[in-house]
Order: sequence, then structure tokens, then C-alpha cells
Amino acid sequence: MHSDQPSAADDPAEVADDVDEAALARVMRTVPLGAAVLAGGAVALLVIGYLLIYLLIFIPRGTIG
Amino acid sequence: MTELHPEIHERRILGTELLWAFGVGVLISLTLAMIVFTALTMGINPPSNVERIDPKTLHLSGEFAEHNLGTTVGPDGSATVRIIATQFMFVPRCIAVPRGRRVTLRLATPDVIHGILITGTNVNTMVVPGYVAQVHTEFTRDGDLLMPCHEYCGFGHSEMWATVQVMTDNQFKPGADGRVSCAQR
Repeated sequence: MHSDQPSAADDPAEVADDVDEAALARVMRTVPLGAAVLAGGAVALLVIGYLLIYLLIFIPRGTIG
Repeated sequence: MTELHPEIHERRILGTELLWAFGVGVLISLTLAMIVFTALTMGINPPSNVERIDPKTLHLSGEFAEHNLGTTVGPDGSATVRIIATQFMFVPRCIAVPRGRRVTLRLATPDVIHGILITGTNVNTMVVPGYVAQVHTEFTRDGDLLMPCHEYCGFGHSEMWATVQVMTDNQFKPGADGRVSCAQR
């Protein structure tokens, strides 16, 4: 690269922070639990909604075929 | 804090994913089991009927000729209702059905695609030219229900609706010809 061309590395905001590997490992140990709680909660809400509509609205509306 | 060996870390992630897949598998199995259970014990199925009819002549003779439309009662007490859905009305505009007995709705159209639903029930089907739409059901409450066309069929679509009069056994009395019409109210 010629020195007269701009580089992203010239801007400090574009340069990645130094990563503390130990701190990253600590965070990564709890992230999967958070993801599981978030995904589990979302799926549980979906399933509860489906069951409520199925059992309280669809079934009482009578037989169909 | 001790660092995990990358291989152990990978194995933990795999374990979590397998656990998640197992949980989702259980949920899907339970949902399917519930659908199969209600189908077998309560007769709840998606309406399905493949029966051809010529849309050009359906009103001239045969099942959907004018004198056959409306409600007829079979020897077993079940009712069969024949309805034509056409731009922009149902013929007949009011149909009488019994409460607590098996009812078969049969619909055909000579023109474009229509659809029906009956408010407060699970009755819901398309009416496609060239085919007879058929729905089996049982009405659990008496009273007047609305049956609008739910498939846009043209400028008069919003005016296309019929009334379903669900009658008690006392009110649902077939005439000598085995037919029942709506009560005048």
C-alpha cells in the first residue's frame, strides 16, 4: 500500500481493542446459558400461545372434517 | 479460573445443541400426538374432498339443481346442506341446520373461487370452480350464525353472506319431502 492512500488503521475507532483472553473465556462460559434461557423462553411463549388457542378456542368450536 | 481445553469446550457446545434438539423434538412430537389424538377421538380433521363437477352445468340438473338446494334430512337424522356460491350471493341465503347432529355441507360454484366460514365454529373451506367442497361438522349451540364469503370474488364480495340458522330438535322438523327451511323470524 502506498503511504499516500488512507488506511482504516489510521482511525483508532476502527482498530480492534486488545482482547483479554482470560476475560473472553469467562464471558463465553456464561453466554451459552443466556442464549439457552432466551431461546427457551421464546419457544415456551410460542408453545403456550399455541396451546391456549388450540385448547381454549379451536377445540370448543366443535368437530370438523 | 482454569481454562477449558478447546476439545472439552467443543464437546460442551455439542452437548447443549443436542439437548436443545432433543427438547424441540419432544415439543414437535407432542404437538403431532395432540393433533392425531383429536383426529382419532374427536373427529377433528382438515376438510378434504376431491370431487369434480362441471361448473357450466351444475345448476341445470343433478345435485346442485335449484330444487335440490338447501337442507335435506337423511334416514339417520343427519342433515346434508347443498349450497351454490355465486357472484355475489349464496343460494339459498339462509340455511337451516340441527343442533347436536352431524351436518354435511356441500358447496359448488359456477363462476369464480369463493370461500366460506361460519362464525364461532371451525367450518372454513374454499369453494373452487370444478370441485365440490364438503365439510362435516356438528353445531353445539343454537341461534343464527353468519356465513360470509371469505375469498375476494369481485366488487360485490362484501355483500356476499348467508345466515346459518342452528335449530333445536323441536324447531328442526323436516317436511314430507325430508327438507327443512329457515324459520321466519
